[in-house]
Amino acid sequence: MPSSPVRVALVGCGAVAELSYAPALRVLSAEGLLEVAALVEPNPESSRRLEATFPDARVHRDTTALSEGTVDLAIVASPPRFHAEQTIQLLREGVSVLCEKPMAATSLEAEAMIAASAAAKRVLAIGLVRRFLPAAQTVRALLAQGVLGDIQDFHFTEGGRFRWPTRSADYFRPGAANGGVLADIGTHLLDLIVWWLGEPMDVRYEDDAMGGVELNCRVELRFPEGFTGTVRLSRDCDLPSRCFIRGTRGWLLWSIHAPEHLTLHFEGTACVVSGRLHELPAGPSQPGAGRRVANFEQSFVEQLRNVVASVRGDARPFVGGQEALAAVRLVESCYRHRTLMPMGWLNEVEAARAGKLSREGSAR
Amino acid sequence: MRIAILGASGFIGSRLVEMFHLEGIAEVRPIARRVSSLAGPSRFQLDCRIADGFDRDSLASAFADCEIVVHAVAGAPDVILGTIAPVYEAAEKAGVRRLIYLSSASVHGQNPVSGTTESSGLSLRHAIPYNNAKVRAERRLRRLRARGTVELVVLRPGIVFGPRSSWVSSFADALIEGKAHLVDRGRGICNSLYVDNLIEAIRGAMSAPGADGEAFLLGDREQITWADLYRPIAEALGFDLNTIPDAISVAPDPMARRLLKRARRSPLARRLSSVLPKKARRALKSATSSLEDPKVELSAWTWPPPPRSIATLEMELLGSCRYKLPFDKATRLLGYEPPVSFDLACRRMVAWLGFAGYPVRDPSR
Repeated sequence: MPSSPVRVALVGCGAVAELSYAPALRVLSAEGLLEVAALVEPNPESSRRLEATFPDARVHRDTTALSEGTVDLAIVASPPRFHAEQTIQLLREGVSVLCEKPMAATSLEAEAMIAASAAAKRVLAIGLVRRFLPAAQTVRALLAQGVLGDIQDFHFTEGGRFRWPTRSADYFRPGAANGGVLADIGTHLLDLIVWWLGEPMDVRYEDDAMGGVELNCRVELRFPEGFTGTVRLSRDCDLPSRCFIRGTRGWLLWSIHAPEHLTLHFEGTACVVSGRLHELPAGPSQPGAGRRVANFEQSFVEQLRNVVASVRGDARPFVGGQEALAAVRLVESCYRHRTLMPMGWLNEVEAARAGKLSREGSAR
Repeated sequence: MRIAILGASGFIGSRLVEMFHLEGIAEVRPIARRVSSLAGPSRFQLDCRIADGFDRDSLASAFADCEIVVHAVAGAPDVILGTIAPVYEAAEKAGVRRLIYLSSASVHGQNPVSGTTESSGLSLRHAIPYNNAKVRAERRLRRLRARGTVELVVLRPGIVFGPRSSWVSSFADALIEGKAHLVDRGRGICNSLYVDNLIEAIRGAMSAPGADGEAFLLGDREQITWADLYRPIAEALGFDLNTIPDAISVAPDPMARRLLKRARRSPLARRLSSVLPKKARRALKSATSSLEDPKVELSAWTWPPPPRSIATLEMELLGSCRYKLPFDKATRLLGYEPPVSFDLACRRMVAWLGFAGYPVRDPSR
């Protein structure tokens, strides 16, 4: 593997590339770990701003120009319906891939991506950045150590008016989009659930898609250990963005948009512990708090750092294709079992038509 | 009939899209300012368009082949006023037959005098800039209509509530956060209008022959108070409205507060302060103290008191209202009869609260 900077191609120059990947790439580029060698974007209008950010990168309109000879790593940040096709093609060309979430539209596609990675002996990592958040890692460790006792139930909610500055209406077009709020932010939460609590044995799912893509959805999950949990997501209602998990010995609450904070309650106490996470102090000093843990943006950089190290052969991808597969399967299972959410404000005529449109949408 | 809905992602626009599409009343074309605002209407398979309300050409292209345009764009005074001419002119360019403009009953003020009707004179001296902007918007539209070809119907709804309404969600949020308050125990008349009743009026306005150039006040059939509106929300969330305190003072709008602060720091004020006798200074301070942020004396030995409830000027005026606005003109010319009773409207409102994730005690209500 190269000792010189890893040559990176950014495939897709939309909002996520501009707002998240570009700043992270600049940080690691300044450290000499990588160089942005290529930008791939079919729409010249969309790539213009990133061309200014990375003036040395070659600009291509499709991925066919990318190969082992030109780049080491491709970040696939194109619309999700292109993820599988582009990832497999790049892996076959000997290029490692960091594929933005959702990994693929179907589990079949995801499995083909994993197989392509194994056959090409190239890295396949998936952009599930929340696993890199210090609070998410702490929750996993606490649960693994049984700090909360036996899990009783959990309730995850996340939502608000949709404000992601997407430029294409394809984002909401059935057929072009893989789905709505579930496929989007739901992928993150379902991935965390599997990572923290294991795979559920039973899924119930409802949403409000009536011929289009869902704005709201609700998932009920049942686990082999006997506990249940719900996930409520919205691009519409201001839901508290948080993960609440209750066990026999206490509960924990993580506000998703405060990745450096955690709130805990232990049975038998009359207080909650709510505070900022810090790293362990450096060196064998007195007990205490080290520096503040990484924030969201720094965690995004850490994700990319891990992938670059994996491409160099110095690490394993923290979220490889196989690790991300369970969330793809879970999203798929939700859509397979979809029913219409009750919307008690609709009159009888509307409710009947809504049910019909929902069923027709499911059949497509 | 094809109808363009401008402001389709807002509270009224989104319900209008939903209801017209699901009831098959018209072929709906939602129009929003940015792509992200299409998330709502995209629950349905519809011909959604992007157009800026200030841009006549993009609007004209979005209105193409539409017979009716509903202008349901909400916003600050600059948005209210800045979108009027572009929308009307674009409708004309696109060959639209009728423009339905959602104005507001607040053109008559939040506390209208008894006897107010559509023919009452409109003032530009309201204390709330929104009211003045709506008055100016109506006047601009009338001037455009006088020399244009697109028919115009102006609707003046009262307090529009329903699913996704901020009247509902903000009171629910305030209850949960312990910040809810009433004005005058909620005894003031709330000129309520359930959103489905507004849509019924829009439906009438689409084709009513004698409506061109007219303005219509709209309301629910029942005369209700603010307590009547808030009680179902409180009960659904497990609160007793009787325990919710009254606001203790009027908070002037933030602009007035900022101006006062600036005036106090000015060199002139400082000079006056050193010249005026102590008594005069104290009197002046007392006269302007209601414009200041309330301050609480804190000490390490005491617990902070619960937050003080302060009504905005708008809520103070609304809460003092003693007059139910009439809608008989809408009945006469638009055939408007509110199809949803206030009781049913409240049940639907509570159903939405449950849907929206509020901890509703019995979401099946």
